[in-house]
Amino acid sequence: MNSFEWSSPRDIAQAAGVATTTVAAAMVSQSGRLSTDGVVFKAGGIDLLDLMKEGLLVPRGIVNLREIPDLAVIAQADDGGVHIGANVTLAQLAADPVIRTRFLALADVAGNSASPQIRQVATIGGNLLQRPRCWYFRSRDHHCARKGGEVCFAFAGENQYHAIFDHNGCAMVHPETSATALVALGAKLELTNAAGTKRVVGLEQFFLLPEVDIQRENDLTPGEILTAILLPPPAPTSRSIHIKQGETDSFDWPIADVAVALDTAPGGACRAAAVILGAASPVPHRAKAAEALLVGKTIDADVARAAAHAALQGAAPLTKNAYKLPIFETLVRRAILAVVRGG
Amino acid sequence: MLDTTLPDFLASDAQAAERDAVGPGPVPLTLDVNNVSHSLFIEPKTTLAEALRDSLDLTGTKVGCDRGACSACTVWLDGKPIAACMMLAIDVGSRKITTIEGLAHGDELHPVQSAFIAHDAVQCGFCTPGLVMSCAALLESNPTPTIDDIKAATSGHLCRCGTHPHVHDAMLDASRIRKT
Amino acid sequence: MTSADTRLQKYPVGIDSVSMAEIERRVPAGEAPPLPPNPQLAVIGKSIPRINGRAKVTGAAPFTVDVKLPGMLYARLLRSPLPHARVMSIDIGAAERHPGVRAIHVINDVVGRAVETTGQNTPAGTSGRRVLYVGDPIAAVAAVTPEAAQAAVDLIKVDYQPLAFVVDLEDARKPDAPRVFAHPVHGESFAGGNPAGTALPQQGNVRGPNKSGSRGDAAAGFADADVVIEGEFRTQVQTHCCLEPHGLVADWRKDGLTVYMSTQFTAGIRAELAAAFGLPLSRVRVIVDAMGGGFGSKSSAGNYARAAVTLSRQANAPVRLVLDRHEEQIDSGNRPATVQRLRVGARRNGTLTAIAIDTYGTSGVGLGAGIGNFAQAIYDCANFELVQSDVFINAGPGCAMRAPGNVPGAFALEQTIDELAEKLGMDPLTLRGRIDLSAVRREERRIGAARFGWNRRRAPGSDSGPIKRGLGMAQSLWGANVRTNSACEVRIFRDGSVEVLSSVQDIGTGIGTVLAQVVAEELGLRPEDITVRIGDTEYPAGPPSYGSLTTASITPPARNAAYQVLRKLIEIAAPSFAAAAGNLAARAGRISTADNSRSIGFREAAAQLPTDQIGVVASRSDDYADFARKMGDMASAQNALGGVQFAEVAVDTETGIVRVERVVAVQDCGRPMNPLQIESQVQGGILQGISYALFEERILDRHTGHMLNANLEQYKILRSRETPAIEVHLLENYQGMSATDAYGIAEPSNIATAPAIANAVYNAIGVRLRQLPMSPAAVLAALGRIPQRSGPT
Repeated sequence: MNSFEWSSPRDIAQAAGVATTTVAAAMVSQSGRLSTDGVVFKAGGIDLLDLMKEGLLVPRGIVNLREIPDLAVIAQADDGGVHIGANVTLAQLAADPVIRTRFLALADVAGNSASPQIRQVATIGGNLLQRPRCWYFRSRDHHCARKGGEVCFAFAGENQYHAIFDHNGCAMVHPETSATALVALGAKLELTNAAGTKRVVGLEQFFLLPEVDIQRENDLTPGEILTAILLPPPAPTSRSIHIKQGETDSFDWPIADVAVALDTAPGGACRAAAVILGAASPVPHRAKAAEALLVGKTIDADVARAAAHAALQGAAPLTKNAYKLPIFETLVRRAILAVVRGG
Repeated sequence: MLDTTLPDFLASDAQAAERDAVGPGPVPLTLDVNNVSHSLFIEPKTTLAEALRDSLDLTGTKVGCDRGACSACTVWLDGKPIAACMMLAIDVGSRKITTIEGLAHGDELHPVQSAFIAHDAVQCGFCTPGLVMSCAALLESNPTPTIDDIKAATSGHLCRCGTHPHVHDAMLDASRIRKT
Repeated sequence: MTSADTRLQKYPVGIDSVSMAEIERRVPAGEAPPLPPNPQLAVIGKSIPRINGRAKVTGAAPFTVDVKLPGMLYARLLRSPLPHARVMSIDIGAAERHPGVRAIHVINDVVGRAVETTGQNTPAGTSGRRVLYVGDPIAAVAAVTPEAAQAAVDLIKVDYQPLAFVVDLEDARKPDAPRVFAHPVHGESFAGGNPAGTALPQQGNVRGPNKSGSRGDAAAGFADADVVIEGEFRTQVQTHCCLEPHGLVADWRKDGLTVYMSTQFTAGIRAELAAAFGLPLSRVRVIVDAMGGGFGSKSSAGNYARAAVTLSRQANAPVRLVLDRHEEQIDSGNRPATVQRLRVGARRNGTLTAIAIDTYGTSGVGLGAGIGNFAQAIYDCANFELVQSDVFINAGPGCAMRAPGNVPGAFALEQTIDELAEKLGMDPLTLRGRIDLSAVRREERRIGAARFGWNRRRAPGSDSGPIKRGLGMAQSLWGANVRTNSACEVRIFRDGSVEVLSSVQDIGTGIGTVLAQVVAEELGLRPEDITVRIGDTEYPAGPPSYGSLTTASITPPARNAAYQVLRKLIEIAAPSFAAAAGNLAARAGRISTADNSRSIGFREAAAQLPTDQIGVVASRSDDYADFARKMGDMASAQNALGGVQFAEVAVDTETGIVRVERVVAVQDCGRPMNPLQIESQVQGGILQGISYALFEERILDRHTGHMLNANLEQYKILRSRETPAIEVHLLENYQGMSATDAYGIAEPSNIATAPAIANAVYNAIGVRLRQLPMSPAAVLAALGRIPQRSGPT
């Protein structure tokens, strides 16, 4: 890991504008020689240290956001939803009584990510902004397209953990299970720029496909700070669930994860549905055909099966990851039925 | 470093932040470890694991992967287990660090340590200090854990020798000891 | 042995739960008298807590990575970023000028791999060395800080001429594949459990066939068969993943070399470094205290230790070299991959008529991708044909890993036997009862079946839901190995304190605790009364910690040394309480007459020593019934070790996820010395077996030659939540073979697990998994559940 300058501002105004670049931009190089001029933000620092230890990021300076107290709070929002400060740790989320009662999918995700040790330090903001886990991207010896190189090595290489949707030029999968759950819950992000201006953007819209920009996973601009995650109030008749499937249960990234949120009328017909697949695409993947199939129906085993099948519409597996299809289909069906039966 | 297009009211804050920047060379800082305050002079890039092992000679904290993937380096930050290899020492601030060396009270072992010995939850012993710290933290927050609680609390630990079954036995026993 | 220096003794023999008898053996005169079975002993056979347990749970135990010497330098290695290249030039100028750099060593002679008989890996007419895999060490730098060493490594300029390479096993076998070696190679390796063979044909990247080990006439056997079962099995490369990385501190001084090293064999490292650096054995000292796991990979000095010693000699200062996790994964050894084609012929009654195995595999640029002696030795079959070949690829060399050869070998054969039983309409236990002559495994099957509830086993695929449960079992075979070159000293001091000393190292098995038990038993003391000094070649040379031979090799010398030093003490002390020396024994802290009428405290007796201390060094005699095999210092006793394991699994047929829910293991290791420590070892063997069966796999990119999961995150290993309920039952199997009659357990416990799981998976889903790991992708493919869609590439 390189030596760097360190500052630790105590409020947003002081922090905003100090950073000169995003982590994504600082990791791009034409020749493989990385810039050593960048100053980047750090929250929990788990992914940042990982990237720096691998020599994938060589910043001149780090601006620590972790000491900004306003960012570590979970609060009731005016609209009845919840305002989650970006520095709230995964452990904090998993233990929070409001999250546990009203947004169980998120509490489950937060309590099952990485390890207990990492969850104590990793923040929800950092979690959403972490870089892909693709093993080519994480290897200094593979100068891939996302880092300014020519190719995505995964297409001709070892793509068993890669995308089955929307891998146009880059086959990474979106790594965070939290994003899968939060998109299903309709979360928005609050971003604060160097001028102190806040903008609010839907989490789903925040993420970018490689065909839009192959060198960054989201629409964060230099100097901008992710300050909060905003959860709208769930309808009283809605329920959600998240299922993560790793090869191991102890400490593993998902090979597939699914979040389902359903709003079901007291009579039984589904009024609104969100079916989101994680570890499937470079962004959290909304299974629109599945959602369309669910809305207006009284959900039983056959409907769930049909929706699960529809969720894989448009899937284009690579040479070694077609095995993910039956897994996703199973997880979607089980998640739908679990939500319905749980209600 | 400063963006010259910043409005004045922010530029002053940014300048203040920049003035506060330290490093990349060694920086004086204090670490509260096992209830003792230590003055160190280390680079900002120094991890907590490195500070403990290299500067303070607290070598009970082991580094197995240096990426937060094996949890051998587990210590407590304000009583909660964290991976010392994935935290910068400068980022600890005034929070209290507890290491394996600080767990026992003098010669009197923590019940988890005694139970590990009694149940032979130790083979090569390299992952053991970290596992003990996770197990002890679990008992502090949950004196009567179930086997699932124990597995969850230790799920980040890699034990290549395979002590997990004896760790589970030891923890169930230690929770009984504390109840009585 | 002549009768003058021997005597006849009666030894207990038999399995405790079956029947016990006595046998008369002629043993050397200096041997301690026979031990009765464990229930009659005070300390041996008891679950004494580990003597270094307290040090390990408090963080006080000193590991090699914790060693700090005054003036110590830090070393880093430059490794090849290319899978195959000729090194045209190396420029170390800038590295030498980097501040803090004290020594640079360009590595020209590499060890631990196959070596070309001509040209030393260098084609004629060129001077540059070829690097053969990503991670192949090229140079080493020592500097005052790790950062300075790494910076200097980065400043070394190497001009590589890239060469064509191959990392895929099947690609490497093709006639037009890039050649890893241009000339015939030779070398040693136990990566496959048996010697790699000499003077074998070599074509392209394929070296073999090696047909040694065959017997009888397989063709005739198959002609005689009523039923023939055939199958092809594939096993992956597994890496050792010791939690403590490979590393050492080398301290070269004018008067000799001292090395602090995380090793499984202090005495072996001493011999290796003495030879490599032209030093007498007496001037090399190797020390290891706490040791963070080896599993076969820390048995020799390798390139990294040679580099550290060279740097220390150059810099005239101690040098610390510890590999990082990435280096661990790409260049610290691995268990070779295998492809095994098996044919087993049998009569309708189950009698085996022939076993034929055609196998190839890869140990990277090393030798020995073999399958051990499992199929050769476990079942009664007159006709056995073995054809083994090594396939070279541009990847780091394999080395022995816990039960080398027998682990992949058992995965294939034990599934084939399971399949044969089904074809014959026999229960797998009944079939094994017919073809397995081992009385030990017969009893283990009986006990295991009862404890496991084998009678719950149903027809394959009986569960109707998506999650299907199944039961399976498999067996183990491992040699009762011994290293005869093993010695131990026991000292008694005038204040009654006692020391046991040997260079044998405790790699986590608890051998130090066992030595305290053996000496305490003999001297009538408590284990805590014995000071154990091990892991240092200043003490009598002990055995390695591999081959599951440590306990068998070092406990008899310890017991004999204790016995002989006690005889000395007794002769000195007997006159003081008017007893005849020949009639005295030590028990409960006293030396007493046989009828207990007269006695003296151990400490009182010791106070009569004419010098501050007395000591006896004893070594390992041959086994009393001679060895089955002996090669130099290594030998195998006639009583091979068994072991039977039963596994219960749940298979989610919709996701392909396999979870092991319960394992029952019945194991034997002669006389169990410390049952709790043995249980730990068996649990560890099972958990590594589950991890091998379900999760672990080295993944190489065939286009770049890099290992993609060279970490502990994407190289997946079992942890707490994948740990099933495990029940371990130990047989006491007395054979009257040595002064302790004790043997090893680490490897036998690692062999049967993967095939037991595979057989259980078959019982659950009715489809056989012939490939490891049994990942979701592999299970879904076997079930035919992966849609055949072709994606863009």
